[in-house]
Amino acid sequence: MLIRVNNLVKRYGNLLALDHFNLEVREGEILGLLGPNGSGKTTTINCILALLKYDKGTVEVFGRPMTPDAYESKRNIGVVTQNVAVFQELSVEENVDYFCGMYVEDAKARRVLVQEAIEFVGLTEFRKFRPKKLSGGLLRRLNIACGIAHKPKLIILDEPTVAVDPQSRNSILEGIRDLNRNGATVVYTSHYMEEVEQLCSRIVIMDKGKTLVSGTKEELKAMINRGETITVELYALQPDDLTHIRQLPHVAQAEYEGNRLTIRYDNGQHNLLTLLDYLKSRGLSFERVYSERPTLNDVFLEITGRQLRD
Amino acid sequence: MRMAMHVFRYRLRCLLRDTDTLFWTMAFPILLATMFYVGFGNLMGGDASFEPVKVAVVNSPAYQRNVYLKQMLAVLSTPGADQLLDLTVTDETEAQRLLDEGGVTGIITVGDVDDTADPIASSIRLTVTQSGLGQSILKAILDDYLHASATVSSVLSQNPAAIAELIDRLGNRESYTQQISYSDAMPDTAVGYFYALVAMACLYTGFWGMRNTIDLQADLSDQGARRSVAPTHKLAVVLCDWAAAFLIGFGEVLVLLAYLAFGLKIDFGDQVGYVLLTCLAGCIAGVSFGTLLGTLFRKSEGAKVAALVGATNVLSFLAGLMYVNMKHIVARNVPVLSYINPVALTSDAFYSLYVFDNHHRFFLNIGLLCVISAVMCFASYLQLRREKYASL
Repeated sequence: MLIRVNNLVKRYGNLLALDHFNLEVREGEILGLLGPNGSGKTTTINCILALLKYDKGTVEVFGRPMTPDAYESKRNIGVVTQNVAVFQELSVEENVDYFCGMYVEDAKARRVLVQEAIEFVGLTEFRKFRPKKLSGGLLRRLNIACGIAHKPKLIILDEPTVAVDPQSRNSILEGIRDLNRNGATVVYTSHYMEEVEQLCSRIVIMDKGKTLVSGTKEELKAMINRGETITVELYALQPDDLTHIRQLPHVAQAEYEGNRLTIRYDNGQHNLLTLLDYLKSRGLSFERVYSERPTLNDVFLEITGRQLRD
Repeated sequence: MRMAMHVFRYRLRCLLRDTDTLFWTMAFPILLATMFYVGFGNLMGGDASFEPVKVAVVNSPAYQRNVYLKQMLAVLSTPGADQLLDLTVTDETEAQRLLDEGGVTGIITVGDVDDTADPIASSIRLTVTQSGLGQSILKAILDDYLHASATVSSVLSQNPAAIAELIDRLGNRESYTQQISYSDAMPDTAVGYFYALVAMACLYTGFWGMRNTIDLQADLSDQGARRSVAPTHKLAVVLCDWAAAFLIGFGEVLVLLAYLAFGLKIDFGDQVGYVLLTCLAGCIAGVSFGTLLGTLFRKSEGAKVAALVGATNVLSFLAGLMYVNMKHIVARNVPVLSYINPVALTSDAFYSLYVFDNHHRFFLNIGLLCVISAVMCFASYLQLRREKYASL
């Protein structure tokens, strides 16, 4: 276990930010930490990194208690903070070299690592630029390069793709997958469900400082009481037919509106085949049929609720 | 060691490219020095030149008859180093016109001696339109003349035999106070302001110390957060940052010193080594002060900077930057403040170099600066070393 967070309690005055929170991160995985705003994701990360004081609980990283002077553990951690944490007075190359130099003493080895990191995030042509000359996306990439240049075993990325254009985001996600393929364990927090869905091997959904659910995306989808949604485009569906369709196995809801029949299932198998058999038996012709599986977004909303958050 | 050099080198680079702080810590004291220099004008350096007071005398028969007054005014207006008056003898109308137009400071009118109780006083009239140094000089000259005339008249009427001795005494004024100096130096009040200015510039290096703490604390900057999660020993980072800040601050004070000494010709005496030692100790205290304030004052960056500016100004004021006698007032009423105020200690170290022939007081100041700096550095490190934050 690379990270073990046990019974963590963190209060900001009267606000309980982490409520006996537990977390385990296994070697080699990409763990997605999901939660609405204020759910405690960043607080968790900062406690793991020994930046924040906490009221109760323990944090172990690489099997050792995590403290501000746990330098051995820190040497193997790379952090990509939510905000861009670079020096405005230094160029892209200098920033990466500076932060890498806090982990790697050997100048020769560092030179290679810095070049690799800059190439990795695609900033080679901007290496002499100062941060204020970079766009938001390029800045994010620089932030990542500063966090991973020393080739850490554990990389913690706290919403690294906020305000990043789709091309840069894609490149960042691809990069993270590469880092993982090369042996790094990744903890990834994000608001973007599709990112987590395509990137993470395991997901923890937290809210109000607690873990709500955790598991693979398939496991999470299986947890919610929702199966696929089938949509059929057909003409002249009679009310009787709609009543019959509603009585088919596993149908939770069926609506017909504007020549479109939408059926929601509460799980079950071969739903599409059963439906097509019924339509054929009734001699109903149709144009298009498509089926959608529930997304992580559906899971997230169902678990954390649909209420607006700050 | 290599890592320390790495951190130090980049810290130096970062700070040197911070143009805002560079302005306040280097350009601002230089601007202030220039303003002081222009403001003090010719009062500095003992080379003050005196412009003779322009005065008009109404040319009347009575003036022509008053041989003694004519003779005295002629002596006082003789061109040369001791020339006190610039005399214009003219008619009453022209004299009045000159006075109205500011061409002269005053008009001396000599009338005939009448029968009043004080015939001498009533015979000479000084007309001025405003008060000032020139007017006071004219009045003092005429008062002196009238006093001497009255004495001579009195002695002549009561003891004519003593007149020779009186005239002899009138020509030999004697001072009953004696000016002594602690050294061969000629103390110059204006130079005291420049000492306080250099001392203030030393304390301004605290801006670099404060910037260091901001870049080191995770609750104040994102860079601080990133540096806090790095495996570099906190003491090494604090020391490297401190050294870079000190080096830049000391360099800036040297530039200011060079500008004062060679540009504005401010006399810092001939003890260059001691002057540099004072700047060195002042800068150490300055950077340490900024570091301590940045560490202890748990507020936002803006509030920290405001606190440093406020503290620096108050300490500079107490050291006599705005009012040179404040330093003595503090020393008399709250002496302990003089021993813990880095600006006062630095400016007093300069002052003691300039005024005293021995270095006792100088080394007392330097020693106190070193002790204060050590205490501030230690207190800062205790705060920074294992820091975890309540919130970020």
